[in-house]
Amino acid sequence: MQGNQQQQAYDRGITIFSPDGRLYQVEYAREAVKRGSASVGIRTEEGVVLAADRQARSDLIERDSIEKTHKIDDHIAIASAGHVADARKLIDFARRRAQVERLRYDQPMGVEALTKSITDTIQEYTQTGGARPFGVSLIVGGMENGEPRLFETDPSGTPYEWSALAVGGGREEIQSYFEDNYEDGLTLEQGVGLALEGLAEPNDGGLDPDGVDLQTVDEEGVLAVSQDVIEAHLDERDLLGGDDE
Amino acid sequence: MNPELNMTPHDSGRTDPYAPELGSIASEDGDAENVTKTGTTTVGLATEEGVVIATDRRASLGGRFVSNKNVVKVEQIHPSAALTLVGSVGGAQSFIRTLRSEASLYETRRGEPMSISALATLAGNFARGGPFLAINPILGGVDDDGSHVYTIDPAGGVMQDNYAVTGSGMTIAYGTLEGEYDPDMSMDDARDLATKAVQAASERDTGSGNGLVIAEITDDGVEFEEFDDLDDAL
Repeated sequence: MQGNQQQQAYDRGITIFSPDGRLYQVEYAREAVKRGSASVGIRTEEGVVLAADRQARSDLIERDSIEKTHKIDDHIAIASAGHVADARKLIDFARRRAQVERLRYDQPMGVEALTKSITDTIQEYTQTGGARPFGVSLIVGGMENGEPRLFETDPSGTPYEWSALAVGGGREEIQSYFEDNYEDGLTLEQGVGLALEGLAEPNDGGLDPDGVDLQTVDEEGVLAVSQDVIEAHLDERDLLGGDDE
Repeated sequence: MNPELNMTPHDSGRTDPYAPELGSIASEDGDAENVTKTGTTTVGLATEEGVVIATDRRASLGGRFVSNKNVVKVEQIHPSAALTLVGSVGGAQSFIRTLRSEASLYETRRGEPMSISALATLAGNFARGGPFLAINPILGGVDDDGSHVYTIDPAGGVMQDNYAVTGSGMTIAYGTLEGEYDPDMSMDDARDLATKAVQAASERDTGSGNGLVIAEITDDGVEFEEFDDLDDAL
């Protein structure tokens, strides 16, 4: 009886290691990320592409109210997977942090430095009593000294840098698609195509253009790609699905 | 006695010995007086190869009594940048310690040194909002964009220039520089010109004198030289 109670404590208190050295609450937070729809990021020669699947539960919901990719500053954007409300807190933190860099040093925030600021915050929530971890993974993409950079944050607060990655539901399938099809020296245009192909990979019926949220970041800045352009890309690749499903 | 470079010990009229608090703006009436009484002469010149900074070595009380005869008034704060001490000695020393640790933390955390413009902005923010009292330093440094000279004023103003002078001897030193400075000059020529500017100020300004310290800043770092006799530097 007592043993049972103690065992429960490992997965209730996030600051408590299990006897085999695991933090169950952090692992459960990773499960929360998998329950979310997928987001992908591609790093190309010219910039980065962030794309997210934002399929709606109902035709009556306004698609624009489903936020999956977010502009952080003129040169950085973030895509999220997992709990949207948790993501919004980190997005606001990132936006503030980017402005602090401008106030303090009069320079744009570096993508790596921003990612590490975010993961330091996430880490605090794996070690603070009474809190729970962020149920979200972020893809942080942007330009740093003219170079495109692409990072991931996970619920443990570890940063990773990638050439191309997927987070959220269907991650393994999309990631292996990228591993087979990513190559160095892509143009931004080709990056958009690869991102859409990856997102479509787990969806047999193709993608509805309204169900894709896509932003690019290059020397020109952050651009939210319009539904028409996404539709054209999907059509070209025979990935157009949606209404007739 | 209050060992400040440039003012009489008790002329600030300040009654609270702990003021200003950390983070508050030092805006008491005494500040304006301190600034006008700033002693010393510090010169910064930018060339293609790097930056030359020259300073005198006198610390004085109100420019009337020499309180120290071999102060090094230029210090390294970054792998390739240096800052001069002008104004309250305590304020300037604390300012330098603070900037040095900020620059070091920045480089350790990010794996690359702070740019000189970022360092100048940070210095301006600290001068404006910090507890550093009246200071008016020159910041000289070299980064990927080349050589830079900035002046930082006590209210946090940050201005870039090819050459600059601060301190009570500034009008005299500027007279030496005007018409003689050339952005294409060599480091050796810049060094001679900076020496002559400090020499002129040392002759005529009672707040400046007692020798010379030269800092040469290049991509490789900062090198210092001290001279008792200014002619030895030429």
